[in-house]
Amino acid sequence: MSAEPLAQEAQHPALAVADVVAGFGPLTILHGVSLDVASGSVTVLLGANGAGKTTLLRTVAGLIAPRAGEIRLFGEAIGGRAAHLVARAGVGHVPSGRELFPRLSVADHLELGARLAQPARRPELRERVLGLFPEIATRLRQAAGTLSGGEQMMVAIARALMTDPRLLLLDEPSAGLAPKVVLSIFRMLPRLLSQGVSVLLAEQSLRSALSVASRAYILRDGRIVLSGTPAALAADAAVVKAYLGA
Amino acid sequence: MLLLQLLVNGILLGGMYLLLAQGLNLVFGVMGVVNLAHGAIVTLAGLFTFWFATTLHENPLIVLPVVLVLVLIVGAFVQRLLLEPLAGAGRKAELLSLMVTFGLSYVLVEGALNLFGSQYVSLPDLQTTWRIGGLAVNEALVASGLLGAALSGALQLWLNRTASGKALLATSQNQIGALSCGIDVRRMRAVAFAIGAALAAAAGVLLILVIPLAAPTADTLTILAFVIVALGGLGDYQGAALAALLLGVVQSFVGYYLGGDAEYVVPYLLLIVFMILRPQGLGKSGRPVWSERR
Amino acid sequence: MSLEERRIETVFQPPLAADRSSAARKRRALTAGATAIVIAAAATVPLFSSAYLLQLATDIVASIALAYSWNLISGFTGYLSFGQVAFFGIGAYATAALVLRTPIPWYFAVIAAAVLSGAIALALGTVMLRLRGIMFALGMLGLARILGVVAQNLTFLGGAVGLTLPAELTPVPVYLAMIGAALFAFALNAFFAHSRWGLAAMGVRDDEGAAVALGVPTVRVKVASFALSALAPAVVGGLVAWNRSFLDPPSAFDPTLDLQVVVFTLFGGIGTLWGPGLGALVLMLVGEQLWAFLPELQLALYGILVIAVVLAFPGGCVGVLNRFGWLRRRPILAPAVLPRIDRPPSEAREGGAVLEVRDLTVRFGGVVALDRVSLKVERGETVSIIGANGAGKTTLFNAITGFVAPSEGSVLFEGMAVAPIPAFERARRGIGRTFQIPRLMESMTVWENVLLAASNGRRADRAVEQAAWALEMAGLAALWLETAEKLTPGRQRRLELARVLALDPKLVLLDEVMAGMTREEQDEIRAVLRRLKHFGVAAVAGVEHVISAIADLSDRMIVLDQGRKIAEGTPETVLRDPQVIQSYLGELQ
Repeated sequence: MSAEPLAQEAQHPALAVADVVAGFGPLTILHGVSLDVASGSVTVLLGANGAGKTTLLRTVAGLIAPRAGEIRLFGEAIGGRAAHLVARAGVGHVPSGRELFPRLSVADHLELGARLAQPARRPELRERVLGLFPEIATRLRQAAGTLSGGEQMMVAIARALMTDPRLLLLDEPSAGLAPKVVLSIFRMLPRLLSQGVSVLLAEQSLRSALSVASRAYILRDGRIVLSGTPAALAADAAVVKAYLGA
Repeated sequence: MLLLQLLVNGILLGGMYLLLAQGLNLVFGVMGVVNLAHGAIVTLAGLFTFWFATTLHENPLIVLPVVLVLVLIVGAFVQRLLLEPLAGAGRKAELLSLMVTFGLSYVLVEGALNLFGSQYVSLPDLQTTWRIGGLAVNEALVASGLLGAALSGALQLWLNRTASGKALLATSQNQIGALSCGIDVRRMRAVAFAIGAALAAAAGVLLILVIPLAAPTADTLTILAFVIVALGGLGDYQGAALAALLLGVVQSFVGYYLGGDAEYVVPYLLLIVFMILRPQGLGKSGRPVWSERR
Repeated sequence: MSLEERRIETVFQPPLAADRSSAARKRRALTAGATAIVIAAAATVPLFSSAYLLQLATDIVASIALAYSWNLISGFTGYLSFGQVAFFGIGAYATAALVLRTPIPWYFAVIAAAVLSGAIALALGTVMLRLRGIMFALGMLGLARILGVVAQNLTFLGGAVGLTLPAELTPVPVYLAMIGAALFAFALNAFFAHSRWGLAAMGVRDDEGAAVALGVPTVRVKVASFALSALAPAVVGGLVAWNRSFLDPPSAFDPTLDLQVVVFTLFGGIGTLWGPGLGALVLMLVGEQLWAFLPELQLALYGILVIAVVLAFPGGCVGVLNRFGWLRRRPILAPAVLPRIDRPPSEAREGGAVLEVRDLTVRFGGVVALDRVSLKVERGETVSIIGANGAGKTTLFNAITGFVAPSEGSVLFEGMAVAPIPAFERARRGIGRTFQIPRLMESMTVWENVLLAASNGRRADRAVEQAAWALEMAGLAALWLETAEKLTPGRQRRLELARVLALDPKLVLLDEVMAGMTREEQDEIRAVLRRLKHFGVAAVAGVEHVISAIADLSDRMIVLDQGRKIAEGTPETVLRDPQVIQSYLGELQ
């Protein structure tokens, strides 16, 4: 997967979710969700805990099969595909629990992610990733389970980036992390864009997302209730109060 | 000299025990699946080797690659059919897979009884003894011990040095993470079980050269393999190697000084001693057998 | 099927719904009636049957007794034992030895053998039940084999040749004694299914760690269940030995018996009251016809049946019947109507610090999780503990509650050192905790989850009152007969709180109780937390990330970083402390 978007890719949004219904067991969490991630942009998905952000991201990643609706990656239908195949199609997923391999080294994580990238691209990807996260460059031999929370999140993102994704799904990267670490992660996002990766970011706090996103959607009780530019949404005090309370 | 003899015998025995346990370590320590049919696979493979050698009058070691391939295929099939539906996490999955493999072991043992009868059999072929500087070393024991250690080493190399091996380790440590790397987790589970079963079969082919086997030995071998895995610490291969060696040596000495039946009891006593003194096992990275999470 | 959607059908079914309709009552009456008729019929069998039929009936009843006994340890308590035959053999040999060497008549010898078997199980259990489920199963398997070897070598037990007993033909008394054994085993199962003891066993089965935190003496429960499960098999073994007048190691420690017990119980419904009996009866009758045709495939067919049941309907016949409303388990000690308990608020007594931690250090291998942490929680305080992941917050809780042993330092609760007190006892004495991810008992209703915690050291009626009160306080009274598993995340959190309240704690430790909660749910939890102090809870300590949710509730805040305490004080001071900002916050909140 080349870094420059192909001509046809530029015509389709990176991600098009249309009327997706999903849930698990007897519960339905998403009741017909539609959103778009424009190619080469950061789109933020906001909403309180329990609104369905993680469910939506997991459905896009293939961990949950949608019961209705369509999911398209640069025009290609991926809804219902198994998670490992979705990854192979070019979707990088950084789950909210990070989901690292505790007894494998940082270098192993990068190597495992790189399986999905073309061999010729791998050295370049690795250099890029270590440039984005210099803190982990010194810890390549260390077992992932012994890293701090912030370092683990960096490894998780690095691993996903090594798969050379066209679309990156970031699920609440700030959760459980020291605010200082969160800041550094958000500062990294614009650099990703310049490398040709589109991002769908799920977050709770509007404020953090403001600086990086070009579009925001607000999810509440499994439905999209508002969308627009982050600045417009933040300016609307009523919106902020009603939907985010922060 | 006697001591050295017993020691050498014990070490070679340990090599075989290691092979016996490695397949289990892969499946149980790494994938969390409890395979109570492990010993039955070993026994069936051993009895098949006996039949092959005595009926066709060929060198039993020829059977080894054939059996390996056969069991790899059947093992993957069995995993897909019987264990994949249970591939959830947690206590219930553990209990259910225990019961399924329990049932499976009886099916296999009955098969062995019907096909090969209930007599204890062993192969006399490689029973020649070499004499090296005063030591009497049984040829079969050497072959089995060395082959066992070699196969175990190959497994270790594959797991830790190759991309596919690391993919397997990754799957065992975090399935969601593995999926995000494009790893087909379902296939990994089948592969792990197939390899584990194939190693068990290989152990059977080698064991029949050294000790008598029969349908009733299936359970004993399952227990032996688990004891080694437990002594070594779950999922720890170096630990398992140490445990296998220790067990082999202790059994060798006990068998000589106290007789065959006492030898039988050794694994359990060792297990109890270690449970009390060093529950996390002999290895560095093993987990104790009463940790709740793997 | 996606990762999320692949769920294993629950083997151990919770009571499916509050089935209190008259139809349900009729069904229960019918079941009771049918059982009485079956037992009466069984007792009259000797009057009009041939020797062959009597033997068959004896074998069936023996299987029922064995299956019910296995159900106690493997079904209710969740520790699968693949070596029950060990107790059968012990019973057989003990009986034989007593009959041959002492003047004791056979019926007393059998009882004595059962007592011996129970005693051995008691001793073994204390060692073997420390092992994880799988190792216990294997340990039992191994035990049965070892005993066979031992019997083979002991000449006073006949060695390989075996023992021959005096050939007295008493098939009818043996049969009646067998019925007695089966009834005894059934009664034990009934006791488990309807009592708080059984509830505790099920708690051990569902989540042993959580059960400990609720004050359940898990080791005692496991060992006692195990010992009880050893009684009837010994009786059956003794009776069989007497009946056959001969005994040798292979027949005493026959591994087929283990398989049969597992198959019968599984087929009938493991962990249920009616399953083992139903399964044993049906399969023995079917088997009787089948084995005439296929003697060499018995084991294989049973093995296949086990696999088929586990994969297709792990709840067994009873699981299937449950769907039609038959043979459902009833929630334990659930009153007809949930009483409304009015408790006058009681403020905590005056006194010193509720919790004091002194120089606590915890090391795991090479990692220092807590490094000389000292803190105090005074009476009436709510303290928040914040810090990045890996700072040691959960380890701190684990050390206080007894889930982890400190390497150095001490913890004092109400002025008393807790070091010698085991975890479940600490819970009983008033340290209650929640878990980061709610650990609820899946096979129980909301009511039963809370009753489990409320039962500790209390009489039944008091426990019921306590449970009702706790449910009311947590706002879950309306959902009391729902399955715990099916609750929304917010309600699951409140159920955890209800369980903690049911302990009547003096200190409540909350582990990230706000994580994943919506705003409304956070408010609901805050309301519960505010009420705590009025009901005897002396102090609350909470680990949190969602600082906004707890800042106004906290009297004091403590900050941990990499195992060390780096700041302490009121929320305002702490959140402005430069060191805290640098290491954790990153910017002014």
